[in-house]
Amino acid sequence: MRVAFVGKGGAGKSAISGTFARLLARRGHPVLAIDSDPLPGMAYSLGLPHDDAPLPDEAIEDRPDDEEGPRYRLRAGLSPVEAVERYAATAPDGVRFLQFGKVRTDPRALFRSQFAFRQIIRELPVDRWDLVGDLPGGTRQPFTGWGGYADTFLIVVEPMAKSLLSARRLARLASSGDRPVRVVAVANKVTEAVDAEHISRRTGLEVVAAVPLDPVFAAAERAGKAPLDAAPDSAGVQAVSSLVDRLEKEHPRMKVTP
Amino acid sequence: MKIAVVGKGGSGKTTTSAVLARTLARQGHSVVALDCDSNPNLGISLGVGDDETERLVSMRQSLDEGDEAHAPGWDEVLDRFGSEAPDGVRLAVVSRIDNPEPGCL
Amino acid sequence: MDFSGQVVVADLEAGVGTLTRLGDAGVDKVLIIVEPTPKSVEVGSRAAAIVADKSLGEVVVVASRVQSDDDLAMIRKAFPDHQVVPVPDDPAIVAADRDGQAPLDTAPDAPAVQALTALAGDLLATA
Repeated sequence: MRVAFVGKGGAGKSAISGTFARLLARRGHPVLAIDSDPLPGMAYSLGLPHDDAPLPDEAIEDRPDDEEGPRYRLRAGLSPVEAVERYAATAPDGVRFLQFGKVRTDPRALFRSQFAFRQIIRELPVDRWDLVGDLPGGTRQPFTGWGGYADTFLIVVEPMAKSLLSARRLARLASSGDRPVRVVAVANKVTEAVDAEHISRRTGLEVVAAVPLDPVFAAAERAGKAPLDAAPDSAGVQAVSSLVDRLEKEHPRMKVTP
Repeated sequence: MKIAVVGKGGSGKTTTSAVLARTLARQGHSVVALDCDSNPNLGISLGVGDDETERLVSMRQSLDEGDEAHAPGWDEVLDRFGSEAPDGVRLAVVSRIDNPEPGCL
Repeated sequence: MDFSGQVVVADLEAGVGTLTRLGDAGVDKVLIIVEPTPKSVEVGSRAAAIVADKSLGEVVVVASRVQSDDDLAMIRKAFPDHQVVPVPDDPAIVAADRDGQAPLDTAPDAPAVQALTALAGDLLATA
Protein backbone atom coordinates (compact mmCIF):
# COMPACT_ATOMS: atom_id res chain seq x y z
CA MET A 1 0.00 0.00 0.00
CA ARG A 2 1.35 3.40 -0.95
CA VAL A 3 -0.94 6.24 0.06
CA ALA A 4 -0.46 9.97 0.51
CA PHE A 5 -2.68 12.45 2.31
CA VAL A 6 -3.19 15.89 0.78
CA GLY A 7 -5.53 18.82 1.38
CA LYS A 8 -5.81 22.43 2.42
CA GLY A 9 -3.56 23.49 5.27
CA GLY A 10 -5.28 22.76 8.56
CA ALA A 11 -7.68 20.20 7.07
CA GLY A 12 -6.34 17.49 9.37
CA LYS A 13 -3.86 15.63 7.14
CA SER A 14 -1.29 15.04 9.87
CA ALA A 15 -3.72 13.85 12.53
CA ILE A 16 -5.37 11.42 10.12
CA SER A 17 -2.21 10.18 8.38
CA GLY A 18 -0.33 9.67 11.67
CA THR A 19 -3.23 7.72 13.14
CA PHE A 20 -3.64 5.75 9.91
CA ALA A 21 0.04 4.75 9.88
CA ARG A 22 -0.04 3.42 13.44
CA LEU A 23 -3.31 1.54 13.02
CA LEU A 24 -1.95 -0.08 9.86
CA ALA A 25 1.19 -1.11 11.73
CA ARG A 26 -0.91 -2.63 14.53
CA ARG A 27 -2.40 -4.95 11.94
CA GLY A 28 0.98 -6.33 11.08
CA HIS A 29 2.01 -4.19 8.14
CA PRO A 30 5.54 -2.91 7.98
CA VAL A 31 4.89 0.83 7.75
CA LEU A 32 7.13 3.67 6.72
CA ALA A 33 5.55 7.05 7.46
CA ILE A 34 6.82 9.72 5.11
CA ASP A 35 6.65 13.35 6.17
CA SER A 36 7.34 15.63 3.19
CA ASP A 37 6.03 18.74 4.88
CA PRO A 38 8.73 21.24 5.87
CA LEU A 39 6.27 22.45 8.51
CA PRO A 40 5.62 20.61 11.76
CA GLY A 41 2.95 17.98 11.76
CA MET A 42 3.12 14.26 11.35
CA ALA A 43 5.62 13.55 14.13
CA TYR A 44 3.24 14.93 16.77
CA SER A 45 0.38 12.87 15.41
CA LEU A 46 2.48 9.70 15.47
CA GLY A 47 3.41 10.34 19.08
CA LEU A 48 7.09 11.09 18.55
CA PRO A 49 8.65 13.46 21.07
CA HIS A 50 10.74 15.35 18.47
CA ASP A 51 9.52 16.95 15.30
CA ASP A 52 12.83 17.71 13.65
CA ALA A 53 14.73 14.65 12.41
CA PRO A 54 16.75 15.30 9.24
CA LEU A 55 18.94 12.58 7.80
CA PRO A 56 22.39 13.03 9.33
CA ASP A 57 25.35 14.30 7.34
CA GLU A 58 27.14 10.98 7.63
CA ALA A 59 24.46 9.34 5.46
CA ILE A 60 25.02 11.76 2.59
CA GLU A 61 27.83 12.60 0.19
CA ASP A 62 28.46 15.17 -2.53
CA ARG A 63 28.25 13.91 -6.06
CA PRO A 64 31.71 13.93 -7.67
CA ASP A 65 32.08 16.64 -10.32
CA ASP A 66 32.67 14.12 -13.08
CA GLU A 67 29.40 12.26 -12.52
CA GLU A 68 25.90 13.11 -13.66
CA GLY A 69 23.03 13.36 -11.21
CA PRO A 70 21.72 15.24 -8.22
CA ARG A 71 24.08 17.38 -6.17
CA TYR A 72 23.93 15.15 -3.08
CA ARG A 73 23.21 11.46 -2.66
CA LEU A 74 23.26 8.65 -0.15
CA ARG A 75 26.85 7.80 0.61
CA ALA A 76 28.38 4.97 -1.39
CA GLY A 77 27.46 1.56 -0.02
CA LEU A 78 24.38 2.75 1.87
CA SER A 79 21.22 1.37 0.25
CA PRO A 80 17.86 3.13 0.67
CA VAL A 81 16.61 0.22 2.79
CA GLU A 82 19.67 0.41 5.05
CA ALA A 83 19.29 4.18 5.28
CA VAL A 84 15.73 3.77 6.58
CA GLU A 85 16.66 0.97 8.95
CA ARG A 86 19.54 2.94 10.37
CA TYR A 87 18.34 6.54 10.36
CA ALA A 88 14.54 6.69 10.27
CA ALA A 89 13.03 7.35 13.69
CA THR A 90 10.94 4.59 15.27
CA ALA A 91 7.50 5.75 16.34
CA PRO A 92 5.06 3.86 18.57
CA ASP A 93 3.65 0.60 17.15
CA GLY A 94 6.88 0.13 15.23
CA VAL A 95 6.13 2.70 12.54
CA ARG A 96 9.34 3.95 10.95
CA PHE A 97 9.33 7.69 10.33
CA LEU A 98 11.26 9.39 7.56
CA GLN A 99 11.55 13.13 7.06
CA PHE A 100 14.15 15.59 5.82
CA GLY A 101 13.98 18.01 8.72
CA LYS A 102 12.07 21.20 9.27
CA VAL A 103 12.67 24.61 7.74
CA ARG A 104 14.21 27.07 10.16
CA THR A 105 15.35 30.41 8.82
CA ASP A 106 17.30 29.18 5.81
CA PRO A 107 15.73 26.45 3.63
CA ARG A 108 19.14 25.70 2.09
CA ALA A 109 20.27 24.12 5.34
CA LEU A 110 18.01 21.18 4.48
CA PHE A 111 19.22 20.58 0.91
CA ARG A 112 21.51 17.66 1.69
CA SER A 113 18.95 15.84 3.78
CA GLN A 114 16.25 16.61 1.22
CA PHE A 115 18.19 15.11 -1.72
CA ALA A 116 18.86 11.93 0.25
CA PHE A 117 15.23 11.76 1.39
CA ARG A 118 14.02 11.95 -2.20
CA GLN A 119 16.51 9.35 -3.33
CA ILE A 120 15.40 6.93 -0.63
CA ILE A 121 11.74 7.27 -1.57
CA ARG A 122 12.48 6.94 -5.29
CA GLU A 123 14.62 3.84 -4.92
CA LEU A 124 12.91 1.90 -2.11
CA PRO A 125 11.80 -1.55 -3.26
CA VAL A 126 7.99 -1.64 -3.44
CA ASP A 127 7.60 -4.70 -1.23
CA ARG A 128 9.59 -3.66 1.81
CA TRP A 129 7.30 -1.15 3.54
CA ASP A 130 3.79 0.12 3.10
CA LEU A 131 4.15 3.86 2.62
CA VAL A 132 1.87 6.37 4.36
CA GLY A 133 2.67 9.95 3.44
CA ASP A 134 1.76 13.36 4.79
CA LEU A 135 2.25 15.88 1.98
CA PRO A 136 2.48 19.66 2.38
CA GLY A 137 -0.81 21.55 2.58
CA GLY A 138 -2.19 23.29 -0.45
CA THR A 139 -1.88 22.73 -4.16
CA ARG A 140 1.71 23.56 -4.94
CA GLN A 141 3.81 20.55 -3.98
CA PRO A 142 1.82 17.26 -3.99
CA PHE A 143 1.90 16.74 -7.73
CA THR A 144 5.26 18.22 -8.61
CA GLY A 145 7.33 15.23 -7.58
CA TRP A 146 6.67 15.24 -3.84
CA GLY A 147 3.93 12.62 -4.00
CA GLY A 148 5.51 10.54 -6.76
CA TYR A 149 5.59 7.38 -4.61
CA ALA A 150 1.85 7.22 -4.01
CA ASP A 151 -0.65 5.18 -6.01
CA THR A 152 -3.58 6.49 -3.98
CA PHE A 153 -4.10 10.11 -2.95
CA LEU A 154 -6.48 10.77 -0.10
CA ILE A 155 -7.71 14.34 -0.16
CA VAL A 156 -8.72 15.42 3.33
CA VAL A 157 -11.72 17.75 3.00
CA GLU A 158 -13.65 19.69 5.60
CA PRO A 159 -17.24 20.63 4.80
CA MET A 160 -16.14 24.26 4.44
CA ALA A 161 -16.06 26.43 1.31
CA LYS A 162 -12.27 26.98 1.15
CA SER A 163 -11.50 23.34 1.90
CA LEU A 164 -13.89 22.18 -0.84
CA LEU A 165 -12.41 24.61 -3.34
CA SER A 166 -8.91 23.40 -2.46
CA ALA A 167 -10.01 19.77 -2.89
CA ARG A 168 -11.40 20.50 -6.33
CA ARG A 169 -8.11 22.05 -7.37
CA LEU A 170 -6.15 19.10 -5.98
CA ALA A 171 -8.39 16.61 -7.81
CA ARG A 172 -7.84 18.55 -11.03
CA LEU A 173 -4.06 18.64 -10.58
CA ALA A 174 -3.94 14.93 -9.69
CA SER A 175 -5.78 13.91 -12.82
CA SER A 176 -3.67 16.13 -15.07
CA GLY A 177 -0.46 14.36 -14.11
CA ASP A 178 1.44 12.02 -16.39
CA ARG A 179 0.65 8.82 -14.51
CA PRO A 180 -2.63 7.28 -13.43
CA VAL A 181 -3.36 7.63 -9.72
CA ARG A 182 -6.42 6.94 -7.64
CA VAL A 183 -7.86 10.03 -5.98
CA VAL A 184 -10.49 9.80 -3.26
CA ALA A 185 -11.73 12.04 -0.47
CA VAL A 186 -11.65 11.67 3.30
CA ALA A 187 -14.31 13.89 4.84
CA ASN A 188 -13.03 15.43 8.07
CA LYS A 189 -14.70 17.37 10.87
CA VAL A 190 -18.15 16.40 9.66
CA THR A 191 -21.02 17.46 11.89
CA GLU A 192 -24.07 16.50 9.87
CA ALA A 193 -25.06 13.31 8.11
CA VAL A 194 -25.28 15.13 4.79
CA ASP A 195 -21.72 16.50 4.97
CA ALA A 196 -20.05 13.53 3.27
CA GLU A 197 -22.59 13.52 0.49
CA HIS A 198 -22.14 17.27 0.06
CA ILE A 199 -18.37 16.81 -0.18
CA SER A 200 -18.77 14.05 -2.75
CA ARG A 201 -21.11 16.15 -4.84
CA ARG A 202 -18.98 19.29 -4.71
CA THR A 203 -15.66 17.57 -5.42
CA GLY A 204 -16.82 14.77 -7.71
CA LEU A 205 -14.77 12.38 -5.56
CA GLU A 206 -15.68 9.16 -3.84
CA VAL A 207 -15.69 9.73 -0.06
CA VAL A 208 -13.98 6.70 1.50
CA ALA A 209 -14.24 7.81 5.13
CA ALA A 210 -16.11 10.38 7.19
CA VAL A 211 -14.25 11.50 10.31
CA PRO A 212 -16.58 13.33 12.70
CA LEU A 213 -15.77 16.65 14.32
CA ASP A 214 -14.52 15.31 17.61
CA PRO A 215 -13.66 17.57 20.55
CA VAL A 216 -11.33 14.91 21.94
CA PHE A 217 -9.41 14.83 18.66
CA ALA A 218 -9.18 18.63 18.73
CA ALA A 219 -7.99 18.60 22.33
CA ALA A 220 -5.20 16.16 21.41
CA GLU A 221 -4.15 18.57 18.67
CA ARG A 222 -4.03 21.47 21.12
CA ALA A 223 -1.92 19.40 23.49
CA GLY A 224 0.43 18.28 20.70
CA LYS A 225 -0.37 14.62 21.37
CA ALA A 226 -1.09 11.70 19.07
CA PRO A 227 -4.87 11.19 18.83
CA LEU A 228 -4.30 7.46 19.20
CA ASP A 229 -2.62 7.99 22.59
CA ALA A 230 -4.77 10.85 23.88
CA ALA A 231 -8.11 9.56 22.65
CA PRO A 232 -7.86 5.91 21.57
CA ASP A 233 -11.60 5.29 21.83
CA SER A 234 -12.74 8.50 20.18
CA ALA A 235 -15.10 8.56 17.23
CA GLY A 236 -12.31 10.14 15.19
CA VAL A 237 -9.92 7.24 15.77
CA GLN A 238 -12.71 4.77 15.00
CA ALA A 239 -13.39 6.46 11.68
CA VAL A 240 -9.70 6.28 10.72
CA SER A 241 -9.72 2.62 11.74
CA SER A 242 -12.60 1.98 9.32
CA LEU A 243 -10.56 3.72 6.62
CA VAL A 244 -7.66 1.35 7.31
CA ASP A 245 -10.08 -1.61 7.03
CA ARG A 246 -11.30 -0.40 3.71
CA LEU A 247 -7.92 0.27 2.13
CA GLU A 248 -6.50 -2.94 3.55
CA LYS A 249 -9.20 -4.89 1.70
CA GLU A 250 -8.26 -3.12 -1.50
CA HIS A 251 -4.55 -3.81 -0.98
CA PRO A 252 -4.62 -7.43 0.16
CA ARG A 253 -0.93 -8.06 -0.38
CA MET A 254 0.34 -8.03 3.14
CA LYS A 255 3.60 -8.78 4.76
CA VAL A 256 4.15 -9.58 8.38
CA THR A 257 6.93 -7.69 10.07
CA PRO A 258 9.80 -10.09 10.76
CA MET B 1 1.70 50.77 3.70
CA LYS B 2 2.19 47.07 3.16
CA ILE B 3 0.89 44.38 5.50
CA ALA B 4 1.84 40.72 5.05
CA VAL B 5 -0.16 37.97 6.77
CA VAL B 6 1.48 34.60 7.52
CA GLY B 7 0.89 31.47 9.61
CA LYS B 8 0.21 27.76 9.54
CA GLY B 9 -2.49 26.53 7.17
CA GLY B 10 -5.93 26.77 8.72
CA SER B 11 -4.84 29.26 11.38
CA GLY B 12 -7.11 32.05 10.19
CA LYS B 13 -4.75 33.95 7.85
CA THR B 14 -7.25 34.40 5.09
CA THR B 15 -10.11 35.45 7.37
CA THR B 16 -7.80 37.98 9.05
CA SER B 17 -6.56 39.36 5.71
CA ALA B 18 -10.09 39.74 4.39
CA VAL B 19 -11.55 41.48 7.43
CA LEU B 20 -8.55 43.84 7.62
CA ALA B 21 -8.70 44.71 3.92
CA ARG B 22 -12.39 45.52 3.91
CA THR B 23 -12.29 47.38 7.22
CA LEU B 24 -9.45 49.59 6.01
CA ALA B 25 -11.35 50.24 2.78
CA ARG B 26 -14.42 51.26 4.82
CA GLN B 27 -12.22 53.70 6.71
CA GLY B 28 -11.52 55.43 3.41
CA HIS B 29 -8.22 53.89 2.38
CA SER B 30 -7.51 52.67 -1.11
CA VAL B 31 -6.89 48.97 -0.50
CA VAL B 32 -5.29 46.27 -2.59
CA ALA B 33 -5.76 42.65 -1.41
CA LEU B 34 -3.14 40.27 -2.79
CA ASP B 35 -3.71 36.55 -2.65
CA CYS B 36 -0.13 35.23 -2.62
CA ASP B 37 -1.15 31.75 -1.52
CA SER B 38 -0.60 29.10 -4.18
CA ASN B 39 -3.93 27.72 -2.98
CA PRO B 40 -5.82 31.00 -3.24
CA ASN B 41 -8.99 31.39 -1.18
CA LEU B 42 -8.93 35.06 -0.23
CA GLY B 43 -11.82 35.82 -2.59
CA ILE B 44 -14.08 33.59 -0.50
CA SER B 45 -13.44 35.47 2.74
CA LEU B 46 -13.70 38.84 1.01
CA GLY B 47 -17.16 37.82 -0.14
CA VAL B 48 -16.78 37.52 -3.92
CA GLY B 49 -17.88 33.86 -3.93
CA ASP B 50 -16.61 30.53 -5.29
CA ASP B 51 -17.11 31.23 -8.95
CA GLU B 52 -15.35 34.58 -9.05
CA THR B 53 -12.51 33.20 -6.93
CA GLU B 54 -12.03 30.33 -9.38
CA ARG B 55 -12.31 32.68 -12.34
CA LEU B 56 -9.39 34.73 -10.99
CA VAL B 57 -7.39 31.54 -10.45
CA SER B 58 -7.93 30.30 -13.97
CA MET B 59 -7.07 33.70 -15.46
CA ARG B 60 -3.90 33.67 -13.42
CA GLN B 61 -3.12 30.11 -14.57
CA SER B 62 -3.40 31.10 -18.22
CA LEU B 63 -1.36 34.28 -17.86
CA ASP B 64 2.10 32.75 -18.17
CA GLU B 65 1.23 29.25 -19.32
CA GLY B 66 4.44 27.74 -20.61
CA ASP B 67 6.50 30.79 -19.76
CA GLU B 68 7.69 30.05 -16.24
CA ALA B 69 10.69 32.33 -16.48
CA HIS B 70 8.64 35.47 -16.91
CA ALA B 71 6.20 35.39 -14.06
CA PRO B 72 4.54 38.81 -13.87
CA GLY B 73 4.76 40.88 -10.70
CA TRP B 74 1.77 41.46 -8.48
CA ASP B 75 1.25 44.96 -9.83
CA GLU B 76 0.98 43.69 -13.40
CA VAL B 77 -1.45 40.94 -12.37
CA LEU B 78 -3.54 43.49 -10.48
CA ASP B 79 -3.52 45.87 -13.41
CA ARG B 80 -4.63 43.23 -15.93
CA PHE B 81 -6.84 40.95 -13.84
CA GLY B 82 -7.71 42.80 -10.69
CA SER B 83 -11.20 42.14 -9.45
CA GLU B 84 -13.51 44.41 -7.56
CA ALA B 85 -14.39 43.05 -4.10
CA PRO B 86 -16.92 44.55 -1.65
CA ASP B 87 -16.14 47.95 -0.08
CA GLY B 88 -14.00 48.81 -3.11
CA VAL B 89 -11.11 46.48 -2.28
CA ARG B 90 -9.15 45.47 -5.37
CA LEU B 91 -8.24 41.78 -5.37
CA ALA B 92 -5.58 39.94 -7.38
CA VAL B 93 -4.37 36.34 -7.40
CA VAL B 94 -0.60 36.59 -7.61
CA SER B 95 0.69 33.06 -7.97
CA ARG B 96 -0.11 30.04 -10.12
CA ILE B 97 -1.51 27.15 -8.09
CA ASP B 98 1.39 24.91 -9.10
CA ASN B 99 4.20 27.47 -9.06
CA PRO B 100 7.16 25.71 -7.40
CA GLU B 101 8.53 28.91 -5.85
CA PRO B 102 5.78 31.47 -5.51
CA GLY B 103 6.79 34.99 -4.67
CA CYS B 104 4.61 37.85 -3.55
CA LEU B 105 5.59 41.44 -2.96
CA MET C 1 1.55 51.81 -11.69
CA ASP C 2 1.98 53.88 -8.61
CA PHE C 3 0.86 52.28 -5.38
CA SER C 4 1.95 54.97 -2.99
CA GLY C 5 -0.83 55.98 -0.67
CA GLN C 6 -2.47 52.60 -1.05
CA VAL C 7 -2.76 49.96 1.60
CA VAL C 8 -1.63 46.54 0.39
CA VAL C 9 -2.79 43.50 2.38
CA ALA C 10 -1.01 40.33 1.22
CA ASP C 11 -2.29 36.91 2.27
CA LEU C 12 0.85 34.75 2.00
CA GLU C 13 1.07 31.02 1.47
CA ALA C 14 0.66 28.80 4.51
CA GLY C 15 3.98 28.24 6.23
CA VAL C 16 7.09 30.30 5.69
CA GLY C 17 7.99 29.71 2.02
CA THR C 18 6.69 32.98 0.60
CA LEU C 19 8.21 34.83 3.53
CA THR C 20 11.68 33.57 2.62
CA ARG C 21 11.12 34.90 -0.90
CA LEU C 22 9.72 38.28 0.08
CA GLY C 23 11.64 41.14 -1.54
CA ASP C 24 14.49 42.75 0.39
CA ALA C 25 12.47 45.92 0.78
CA GLY C 26 10.19 44.04 3.15
CA VAL C 27 6.85 45.35 4.31
CA ASP C 28 5.63 47.66 7.07
CA LYS C 29 3.89 45.02 9.18
CA VAL C 30 4.01 41.25 9.29
CA LEU C 31 0.98 39.74 10.98
CA ILE C 32 1.76 36.27 12.25
CA ILE C 33 -1.43 34.30 12.89
CA VAL C 34 -1.00 31.73 15.64
CA GLU C 35 -3.47 29.21 17.01
CA PRO C 36 -2.95 27.77 20.51
CA THR C 37 -1.47 24.50 19.24
CA PRO C 38 2.19 23.45 19.35
CA LYS C 39 2.34 23.12 15.55
CA SER C 40 0.93 26.56 14.95
CA VAL C 41 3.19 28.16 17.57
CA GLU C 42 6.18 26.48 15.96
CA VAL C 43 5.33 27.78 12.48
CA GLY C 44 4.76 31.23 13.96
CA SER C 45 8.09 31.17 15.77
CA ARG C 46 9.90 30.26 12.57
CA ALA C 47 8.13 33.04 10.74
CA ALA C 48 9.16 35.52 13.46
CA ALA C 49 12.77 34.33 13.24
CA ILE C 50 12.82 34.84 9.47
CA VAL C 51 11.29 38.31 9.76
CA ALA C 52 13.92 39.27 12.35
CA ASP C 53 16.75 37.67 10.39
CA LYS C 54 15.89 39.51 7.17
CA SER C 55 14.51 42.68 8.83
CA LEU C 56 11.29 42.30 6.86
CA GLY C 57 9.05 44.47 9.01
CA GLU C 58 7.38 44.95 12.36
CA VAL C 59 5.80 41.78 13.74
CA VAL C 60 2.33 41.69 15.25
CA VAL C 61 1.20 38.30 16.55
CA VAL C 62 -2.50 37.58 16.17
CA ALA C 63 -3.58 34.91 18.65
CA SER C 64 -6.34 33.16 16.74
CA ARG C 65 -9.18 30.90 18.00
CA VAL C 66 -8.43 31.69 21.62
CA GLN C 67 -10.77 29.76 23.92
CA SER C 68 -9.27 30.45 27.33
CA ASP C 69 -6.74 32.45 29.32
CA ASP C 70 -4.45 29.44 29.11
CA ASP C 71 -4.58 29.55 25.31
CA LEU C 72 -3.57 33.19 25.28
CA ALA C 73 -0.88 32.65 27.91
CA MET C 74 0.65 29.86 25.83
CA ILE C 75 0.97 32.17 22.84
CA ARG C 76 2.22 35.16 24.85
CA LYS C 77 4.87 32.93 26.38
CA ALA C 78 6.08 31.85 22.94
CA PHE C 79 6.30 35.47 21.72
CA PRO C 80 7.53 37.46 24.71
CA ASP C 81 9.04 40.22 22.57
CA HIS C 82 6.03 40.90 20.40
CA GLN C 83 2.66 42.55 20.62
CA VAL C 84 0.04 39.77 20.86
CA VAL C 85 -3.52 40.58 19.80
CA PRO C 86 -6.14 38.04 20.90
CA VAL C 87 -8.98 37.02 18.58
CA PRO C 88 -11.52 34.73 20.26
CA ASP C 89 -12.68 31.39 18.88
CA ASP C 90 -15.97 32.33 17.29
CA PRO C 91 -18.71 30.11 15.84
CA ALA C 92 -19.72 32.98 13.57
CA ILE C 93 -16.41 32.63 11.68
CA VAL C 94 -16.92 28.87 11.36
CA ALA C 95 -20.43 29.44 10.01
CA ALA C 96 -19.21 31.99 7.46
CA ASP C 97 -16.40 29.63 6.39
CA ARG C 98 -18.82 26.81 5.98
CA ASP C 99 -20.99 28.83 3.65
CA GLY C 100 -18.13 30.54 1.83
CA GLN C 101 -19.18 34.01 2.88
CA ALA C 102 -17.38 37.05 4.24
CA PRO C 103 -17.61 37.20 8.05
CA LEU C 104 -17.92 40.97 7.73
CA ASP C 105 -21.18 40.45 5.82
CA THR C 106 -22.67 37.58 7.82
CA ALA C 107 -21.61 38.53 11.36
CA PRO C 108 -20.21 42.07 11.61
CA ASP C 109 -20.84 42.19 15.36
CA ALA C 110 -19.32 38.79 16.20
CA PRO C 111 -16.50 39.05 18.77
CA ALA C 112 -13.78 37.76 16.40
CA VAL C 113 -14.81 40.18 13.66
CA GLN C 114 -14.84 43.04 16.18
CA ALA C 115 -11.35 42.11 17.35
CA LEU C 116 -10.08 42.18 13.76
CA THR C 117 -11.72 45.48 12.86
CA ALA C 118 -10.16 47.01 16.00
CA LEU C 119 -6.80 45.64 14.89
CA ALA C 120 -7.22 47.30 11.48
CA GLY C 121 -7.53 50.70 13.15
CA ASP C 122 -4.51 50.08 15.38
CA LEU C 123 -2.31 48.97 12.51
CA LEU C 124 -2.70 52.19 10.62
CA ALA C 125 -2.59 54.36 13.69
CA THR C 126 0.86 53.05 14.58
CA ALA C 127 2.28 52.97 11.05
